[in-house]
Amino acid sequence: MNVRASYAAFRQQMTHFLTDPQWIIPSLIAPFMFTMVVLMIYQDVDGPVVLQAVLGGGVLGMWGNTLYSSGWSISYDRYNGTLEPLMTSPTRLMDVVAGRSVWNTLIGLSNAVLVFVIAEIMFRTGVGLANPAEFFFILIMTLASLASIGLVFSAFFVLTRASSVLMSSLEFPIYVVSGAMFPITILPDWVIPVSYILAPSWGVDAMKIAALDGYEGIGLGIAGSLAVMLLLTAIYIIMARWLFKKIERNVRSYGTITRF
Amino acid sequence: MDAVSLRQTARVIAHSSSLSVRNTFAAVPWWLWLAQVLLTSFFAMAFFAYVADFAQNPEVTVAYVVLGNAIQAVAMVTLYSVANLPAIEKHVGTMPVLISSPTGLFTIFVGMSLFQIMAGFLTVAVSMGYAVYLFGLDLSAMHLSVMVVVIVLTSFSMAGLGMMIGAIGTYLRTGMIIASVVSYIGLVLCGVNFPVHYLPDWLQPISYGLPLTYAVEAARLAAEGATLTEVFPQLRMMLLLGVGMLVASYFMLKGFERMVRRKGAYEAF
Repeated sequence: MNVRASYAAFRQQMTHFLTDPQWIIPSLIAPFMFTMVVLMIYQDVDGPVVLQAVLGGGVLGMWGNTLYSSGWSISYDRYNGTLEPLMTSPTRLMDVVAGRSVWNTLIGLSNAVLVFVIAEIMFRTGVGLANPAEFFFILIMTLASLASIGLVFSAFFVLTRASSVLMSSLEFPIYVVSGAMFPITILPDWVIPVSYILAPSWGVDAMKIAALDGYEGIGLGIAGSLAVMLLLTAIYIIMARWLFKKIERNVRSYGTITRF
Repeated sequence: MDAVSLRQTARVIAHSSSLSVRNTFAAVPWWLWLAQVLLTSFFAMAFFAYVADFAQNPEVTVAYVVLGNAIQAVAMVTLYSVANLPAIEKHVGTMPVLISSPTGLFTIFVGMSLFQIMAGFLTVAVSMGYAVYLFGLDLSAMHLSVMVVVIVLTSFSMAGLGMMIGAIGTYLRTGMIIASVVSYIGLVLCGVNFPVHYLPDWLQPISYGLPLTYAVEAARLAAEGATLTEVFPQLRMMLLLGVGMLVASYFMLKGFERMVRRKGAYEAF
């Protein structure tokens, strides 16, 4: 891995973020509004359910941030005409995208925390975390798993100009199948296996166990859910690496990058 | 306006509209565009339907939420696509050419928004299908003609709102930020997923300044079998707000054209 290239990409992503305020919409405004809607629908319910809504809002924020930033990561290069030089440079594209993902992950974490804090201030939910240290550790791991999904998507986005269409198509499915706002057990039976192959579903489950007293979730406990999430994250990273290599080799061999 | 200029305006609208269709499908294949319409409307509806199912709030049933989201889907497609038009022209560098042409921006943007408004109708048809066949919404009492009028006026009033945001956006780098904020505010304030009376008293007047609130109210009444006369107050408000916003956007765009021509400041925005 080329650490210097990744660090440069990290700094470049930071500059882009700070100069383009529209990132705040998928990252913070959208999930916060969803949290507000869900809290309004959950009228007169007790602390754990409210906490579930707030937790869900944080996860939605992290997912929105991951999806849009990974998608735009490649699209901006395409718009700016820098994708071709990037592909022909000796640095691997995945090293560049990984550096950008680290910045996005940090922003995702701050989004999640902001959603928690604002929801607490506005709605005075008055609920506390059962195991705060465990909770924040799992939160960071869940973010890493979301970032790994972002890497896989970034690889695909190299091959298409339609990344904005794909991004908006992928936003809500993950909201539904990850069980961020409601338990996945209320989904139809045939959807539940899809939830199980998504690392964030396990992260959300572990977070809820750490946050809510008496929550049982999928049934593997914190350690079990965390282990499955880490295993799936490792699989996503291997998949992303393989995809990036294959796509880079193909577009270089055939000189087809401008076709996409 | 005489017959010649009317014909000229109609030609500009037709050309802009056809250009908008070609632009849409130049980068995105038709099947992917269609998949986006089908998937996004389904999963957005499913998300809130499952939340309602889990919440077990007797006032906010799954049927209540899916109907609100079907109307919200058409409103948002229209709002985003219309509001984003000036930003697209700026992004591809064609805004100075458009401003220096004798045709007004308002006419061109009206033409460009027509296809997206049609896409909005497709979205609502698909969403209604999901609501009825997948989420159990009962529309047996509904008069189809009343619902059609509600949907057409929803599109019209949201296009007015979108055009106004787009007109504000001509003075900025992009209007998308404002459009996104307004759309998410609409999700909370307009009774899409829960009744407006759940909101704090000080927020409710803002709800009734937005056309989507009347659209959702009218759609719920139409679904229960209301006649055109019974939904007339909501339809009238949508029409008034839509016309008011279109007029406002017309003058804002004219003002922008005059200003940048006088100052020679196309690239400053």
